[in-house]
Amino acid sequence: MNLQEFKEKLFHLGEQHGFTDMELYYEREEKFACELYKGKIDSYDTSEVFGTSFRGLYEGKMGYAFTEKLDEESLSFLIENAKENAQFIEDEVQEEIFAGSEKYEEGNFYSTNLADVSIHEKINLLKEIEKHIYAYDERVTGTDYFMLSSGETKRAIMNSKGLNLREKKNHVGIYVSVIVKQGDQVKNGEYSKFTRNFSILKPEEIAKHAVEEALSQLDAQSAESKNYPVLLRNDAASALLQTFTPIFSAENTQKGQSALNGKTGEAISVPSLSIVDDPFLEEGLLSSSFDSEGVATVKKDIVKSGKLVSLMHNRKTAQKEGVESTGNAYKASYKGALTVAPTNLHVVPSDKSYHEIVSSISEGIVITELSGLHSGANTVSGDFSIAANGYFVKDGKIKNAINQMTIAGNFYELLNNIEAIGSDLEFSMGFMASGYIGSPSLLIKKLAVTVE
Amino acid sequence: MLSQSIIEDVIAAALATGGDFAEVFVEDRFTNNLALQGGKIESSLSGRDYGIGIRVFKGLQSVYAYTTDGTKEGLLKAAGNAAQAIKGNTMMKPSQLQKEIIPAAHPISLNPREVEKFRKVDIMKRAYEIAKNYHNSIQQVTVRYLDEEQNVLIANSEGKFVEDRRVRSRLAIQSIAVDGNQMQPGFYGPGAHKGFEFMENLNLEHYANEASRIAVTMLGADPCPSGKFPVIIDNEFGGVIFHEACGHGLEATSVAKENSVFANRIGEKVASDVVTYIDDGTIANEWGSITIDDEGEKARKNVLIENGILKGYLIDKFNGRRMGMESTGSGRRQSYRFAPTSRMTNTYIANGKSTPEEIISNTEQGIYTKYMGGGQVNTTTGDYNFAVMEAYLVKNGKIGKPLKGATLIGNGPKTLQLVDMVGNNLDHGAGMCGSQSGSIPVNVGQPIIRVSEMTVGGRKGDE
Repeated sequence: MNLQEFKEKLFHLGEQHGFTDMELYYEREEKFACELYKGKIDSYDTSEVFGTSFRGLYEGKMGYAFTEKLDEESLSFLIENAKENAQFIEDEVQEEIFAGSEKYEEGNFYSTNLADVSIHEKINLLKEIEKHIYAYDERVTGTDYFMLSSGETKRAIMNSKGLNLREKKNHVGIYVSVIVKQGDQVKNGEYSKFTRNFSILKPEEIAKHAVEEALSQLDAQSAESKNYPVLLRNDAASALLQTFTPIFSAENTQKGQSALNGKTGEAISVPSLSIVDDPFLEEGLLSSSFDSEGVATVKKDIVKSGKLVSLMHNRKTAQKEGVESTGNAYKASYKGALTVAPTNLHVVPSDKSYHEIVSSISEGIVITELSGLHSGANTVSGDFSIAANGYFVKDGKIKNAINQMTIAGNFYELLNNIEAIGSDLEFSMGFMASGYIGSPSLLIKKLAVTVE
Repeated sequence: MLSQSIIEDVIAAALATGGDFAEVFVEDRFTNNLALQGGKIESSLSGRDYGIGIRVFKGLQSVYAYTTDGTKEGLLKAAGNAAQAIKGNTMMKPSQLQKEIIPAAHPISLNPREVEKFRKVDIMKRAYEIAKNYHNSIQQVTVRYLDEEQNVLIANSEGKFVEDRRVRSRLAIQSIAVDGNQMQPGFYGPGAHKGFEFMENLNLEHYANEASRIAVTMLGADPCPSGKFPVIIDNEFGGVIFHEACGHGLEATSVAKENSVFANRIGEKVASDVVTYIDDGTIANEWGSITIDDEGEKARKNVLIENGILKGYLIDKFNGRRMGMESTGSGRRQSYRFAPTSRMTNTYIANGKSTPEEIISNTEQGIYTKYMGGGQVNTTTGDYNFAVMEAYLVKNGKIGKPLKGATLIGNGPKTLQLVDMVGNNLDHGAGMCGSQSGSIPVNVGQPIIRVSEMTVGGRKGDE
């Protein structure tokens, strides 16, 4: 059954069962991923998948169900389950099917140049990068993973109030982790890059980044465990911010799971900090002109000069507070429940380079990588104690790598202890949290550091 | 799910360009996800996943294609896309498919698909009431309910044709205790390879009260001191330490390319004498149990470390090729969207001889961790970390004040040598494990153990 036919049959069946308003959300994804290991293709994945989710108002309550199979059995499966599910919903504010925003800003998230890049060219890029990886330094012994992945996504929202939105986007990403050995020391260094512009993926640069990162971890030493000024390098800063972005969600403030409840308009950080959510970011992984409820997305300030300007809302959380949706309704996929999440959210960079900030530190730590963020950070209280790798800084110079350590603090306090913001905005490829999150390097006045 | 003749055609198409092994994995999965917040059902989702994964090997090359298009044309297209990556002429003729009947090793007495949702909601509300009423500082309780029925069909060019049904149920309770600006969460998430009978027989009083008790206890806790201490880790979910410190490093995924710190060390002493580490997918109806793995191999009990000596790895078919070793029934995947790789099932430290009382009374100064959060490991370096949900100071052989915000870090191979006492109260806890082939249900387990020295990261002295 094709989608149009399925939708018509589904809405017809839904009407017979007593649904008043109905919506069908659709996603189709084509992906290609390839891993290379010492000149040979190690894995090669291709896929074409789709899925749909139905939601509809039954006796004034919204019921949900999804399927990946467009057959007769799925029609009744969706309607019966959505109907049963609707009956249990007890939230005081009910969701509605949305008739549509007045206008939708145009965005271009699909590169035809990228779509024309062949699988052969993608594999050649990996081969080129790998050559440079092994040629760069004789201490390179292998890669933990070395992958290119590319994809094209189409999504559509169609509902019984006449809304009919469609969008497509594509991307390519390179992910590499290089292993280096020196004597009995083994270290690895990671690098990843995501883009819609295939031509910016320069083999030599990618190889250099990853190998340098691994080499810089060699000859690690211990350091005294105490409070230090800590420079969170851009990738570590964005990973930490990603972990804590749920605090900016109105859904979490309303549930008492964020301390920012009632803080809109108040200062929550140093005045030099600004955070924006930009759904039209050119190279944004989560760029989009409409959100998962069909609301038009907009670029907006979350924090401006230290003040909390707005939380992120979907229609339901907005209705609870008598405000407008900010276009941040989010479903992890057509399968997910409707929630709230950022699009491309980032700290606004300043004009100080990473090197300038390093040279301003008399004694401190640079954090290059955080690990275990999904478990070591308490997004409710803001407390974190997270495993980290990085360097020791003395008199403005990086001296040496440090053994595995933990950094501990509180995110809400950290926002008020930022001493410098870098110019080097970078986005993190986090896979545990939602949103595409970026930050320049951030110098924190002090954090508790424990070194192994 | 799909006819034998279509599958034979798909396997033949996948091998057309010279592949030496092809496999078809068909999945039809029904799930129910309910969430209750503040006493009210906030979301109730039902769904059906359906798709097919086709895998082709040629030597040490592996190709995977997956699709939601289950028509013959859709499958042949996916098989063609996979075959395209392999260059050559048809080398082999697939064996005739032989249907294999494997009796379900984990019987289900009440399929959740046949249970009306109000009974599920009733369980959630009871858990909510218990957790909410534990203490007046409990301000929020979230209860999540999950059930799923995953039907799979696995066939390959070696003639395998086998079907399996996996039914799993899980209840997760999160309580948040609040005092002024302070908020602390507590969590418990029991699960099993069982149907709705699991929910009906679940000791809700215990799990819901524990979730709240942890949150309330942590509200009054001191910041954890940092430094090096003996650490006592209690049983059940405490086993997450070995899951990270050692389990992932024993998976063929990292061993095959000799990237793991445990590669090429079979027969060597890798842990202290008191450590025996086992992965057992056959334990009746446990959360991480399986009848067959996702390559159609029967689950088994694999002894990984015995009295400190490395005995074996967890191996899937593909990595087994590189290693020249047989599969250990460890090929697992989240869904048809992932090629399988070697993963854990129910992994645990076997019982030792010490009683919990002996271990605590023999510790002059240290940290006792009652409940663990999650963790992560870098299998190349062996460096791991994990978060502690509920910890206490140990002084003069007695458990003292509660401590919050503790993270344990260390190096797997080093920590294995430092386990100096193993208790006799083995138990298992349910978790989700994320790795190359996606997020899968696993159990971690152990009796209470003591590690003579671990690095503890905390905030004390930060103020």
